[in-house]
Amino acid sequence: MRGWDGLVSSALLGTDRRPAHFEELPEHIQERLGDGGLLDAAALATVYKRAGRKPLRDLGPLPAAPGQDRPLPRPVAIRRLAAMLGGFQSTALGEWLRAADARGWDVPPEHLPALADFARNRAEYRPLVVRAAGRRASWLADLNPEWRFLHAAVAESNNPELWTHGNALQRRTWLRMSRQQNPAAALEALREVWPTESAATRADFLGLLADGLSQQDEEFLESALDDRSKEVRRIAARLLARVQGSQYGERMAQRMWSHLVVSQGVLAVDLPKRLSAAMERDGIDSQNPEGIGKRAWWFLQIVAATPLSVMDLGWLELPVEGCAPEVLQAAWAEAAVREGSVEWARELLRANASTGSRSPAELLRVLPPEEWVRAVPALREHMDLAELVGGLPVPWPASLGSMILDQLAKVGTARGWARLASIAARAVPADVLNHPITREPAGEEDTWRRRLVETLIFRREMYEELS
Amino acid sequence: MGPWDVEQVLGLAPDPASAKAAQAQARTTKWSETGSSERAVWGLCQGSGKQPYQTAVDLTGPAYKCSCPSRKFPCKHALGLLLRWATGEVGPGDEPEWVKSWVDQRAARPERKPGEVADPIAAQQRASRRADRVSAGMAELASWLDDQVRQGLGGFDQRAYSELSRLAARMVDAQAPGVAGAVRRAAGVVGRGHGWPGELLEELSLIHLTVAAHGRLADLPPSLADTVQSRIGWTVETARVLAEGEKVEDDWLVLGRVIEPDERLTVRRLWLRGATTGRLGLILTFAAAGRPLDPLPARPGEYVPGELSYYPGVLPMRALLTQTAPRLPAPRPTGFTAQQALASYVESVAADPWNERWPLVLQDVRPARYGEGWALVDANGDGLEILPGYFDPWKLLAVSGGDPLTVAGEWNRAGFRPMTCWHGERPVIL
Repeated sequence: MRGWDGLVSSALLGTDRRPAHFEELPEHIQERLGDGGLLDAAALATVYKRAGRKPLRDLGPLPAAPGQDRPLPRPVAIRRLAAMLGGFQSTALGEWLRAADARGWDVPPEHLPALADFARNRAEYRPLVVRAAGRRASWLADLNPEWRFLHAAVAESNNPELWTHGNALQRRTWLRMSRQQNPAAALEALREVWPTESAATRADFLGLLADGLSQQDEEFLESALDDRSKEVRRIAARLLARVQGSQYGERMAQRMWSHLVVSQGVLAVDLPKRLSAAMERDGIDSQNPEGIGKRAWWFLQIVAATPLSVMDLGWLELPVEGCAPEVLQAAWAEAAVREGSVEWARELLRANASTGSRSPAELLRVLPPEEWVRAVPALREHMDLAELVGGLPVPWPASLGSMILDQLAKVGTARGWARLASIAARAVPADVLNHPITREPAGEEDTWRRRLVETLIFRREMYEELS
Repeated sequence: MGPWDVEQVLGLAPDPASAKAAQAQARTTKWSETGSSERAVWGLCQGSGKQPYQTAVDLTGPAYKCSCPSRKFPCKHALGLLLRWATGEVGPGDEPEWVKSWVDQRAARPERKPGEVADPIAAQQRASRRADRVSAGMAELASWLDDQVRQGLGGFDQRAYSELSRLAARMVDAQAPGVAGAVRRAAGVVGRGHGWPGELLEELSLIHLTVAAHGRLADLPPSLADTVQSRIGWTVETARVLAEGEKVEDDWLVLGRVIEPDERLTVRRLWLRGATTGRLGLILTFAAAGRPLDPLPARPGEYVPGELSYYPGVLPMRALLTQTAPRLPAPRPTGFTAQQALASYVESVAADPWNERWPLVLQDVRPARYGEGWALVDANGDGLEILPGYFDPWKLLAVSGGDPLTVAGEWNRAGFRPMTCWHGERPVIL
């Protein structure tokens, strides 16, 4: 405003030294000022300035996020979501998001910032939050660098620009999606850029080939066994072991046969005496972990990487000479998990075989879910039930859920069941949440039983609200 | 009266342990015969004893009643009950006798009217003594201000803060707390950024305006004189506002609220707009720091049917609310363009040159980047800056998704502070 700076400098220096001049001020102010002094003029000018404020011009509004919104769930469901984001039963958050998405509901957009912050350090929630954010996902990712992971949604458009020019996360997502849609094309894309990528990126991208793995990948994986990076070599070997009918499997089978003979109903083992360069190239780890000798460790790895098709289920019954039978059992368990062999997993569980560094639960996971309930009672005799079912993917089949809840309903509030109860509270599927245990009195004390019942009821109400 | 927020309920807990215990209570299955009415929530909670505890909350207080032996107040049962109610797990019902008699009794208890005076003559003497003191304070302030402009604010950088703080304390002594606040604000400007001398001059000139207006109080129109008095810090007793203030009956749309926590006092400004009269209203609520504020009469975006009694002044804004019917859902309000919004603020400044805060509803505005911060741009391309600094813009941005929306907020010359926005017809509290 005209004349204002003059007022300020008079006020700064003092009117004794610099008397104020009002001639430069707008006429309206001069008219009203009369014989007023500096402060009167400043008051008029201040109000004049405030009243004369103009709107901002030439601002570019943010572009609109393209796409359509879905309907919102009922207010009571939204209130529950807000309560969970506020820290109340927040472990059910993922389940709420999945259920809402499956039923076609949107998340109210005002909750997206809190959800994005929640998922920022919890990778397992990210895909859920990307779904929940819908058309706003990449729009929000552009606004706040901390939410870049929301860009995962963009890759769904399969835009090759993201692969050639995207950031690390966008490229990774693009490759993962592309691998799902067309494994050969994804391999080709990776092969093109392979020589120029850093070791960490090579290892990361190579691991993505696990999805849609086939013989077509073999040649590339073989070449990766000679990679400069140890981590890349390790991943390549692990993947090759999963390619059916591969040269790699063939090599491992030959190695096994040179150290194992089946004769007259006995498995005779002659443990390898040294580790050849070829074996190391194929990913055999020279350094034995605690609890097993070097040579047994090498042998275990060879058998574990050998295709189960060259072995016989009947071997499980045979006596072993030359090493502890557990070495072979652990190797078979490893191979059964790697190949997802239902038959081997079933027989190993039935024989109560050693599973080495793996948990029997991992064998259980190989079985179809409807068999779990039958396998569990026998396994319970040898291991903690909570440890066994804790490794199974959730939600459990209804049969297993009912069985565990039936069991818990019978045991009162005995301390030892707390861990199983806390696993079951989250893992039983939606259709057994109405189990009779939820209608029995859970007592006044803060016991696992009460927490279990509270969680089951919380989840049941959650599903009812979202229906 | 509808459910409160979960945070609001947890805010009532006497300590963190109670808040936690209350959440556990809320999750249990041992509640029975729960219900809620317009004024109360109640239920039976099976404790360790044979008889369940009778728990009830009078929402108007709020006041609590529970037959448990806990010395905590409110106890975990009362809080747990409120949590269940807040999460929609307590349905409406008829008050059972034990609840009804308790709440009736509380309602019938005579409340001491705030500001009611026992001895009118003594009160008059007090008022006249205070008027003398205020006049003396104003005279002191006037000569201090004159000295400053004669000697110059240039040396202020070093001595200003302590000097202004001392002056603010003197104004409190002079029973002119409003002016004391203005002086303290002026002290806060000194040395902040390159433009501080200009800003300091603005602040001091408006204090000067108050002092000058006080000098000719008798010549001013009565309503303007009231405004000057309130700027100086004379408060009008609520009883007088209720008895003599201008009354406006309407369905009051809750535009939003701003809560400003301070070291000693939490202040909440609740902005209202009449559905038929279009009048604006401001309800101020105070609470000691760390203590909960009274519950809102309605959520932002809802109507409160009732009567406002305005405090006197040339720009009647601050008011007391007498609710006459339960809150109601309201449609998305109509709003202004940026030009219209600024014009409405100018009108308010024309009436009350000291006015700093002004409620606005902006219509069809979209977010845009503005420097380090954000602005809202209307359909004509005119924009208003969003208050830089402490406002968290993410909720507003997420709701918008780049689409135009209606936003209610509080305008001051530093920027627009969003309070509520509408996602379609659904109000969202920011």
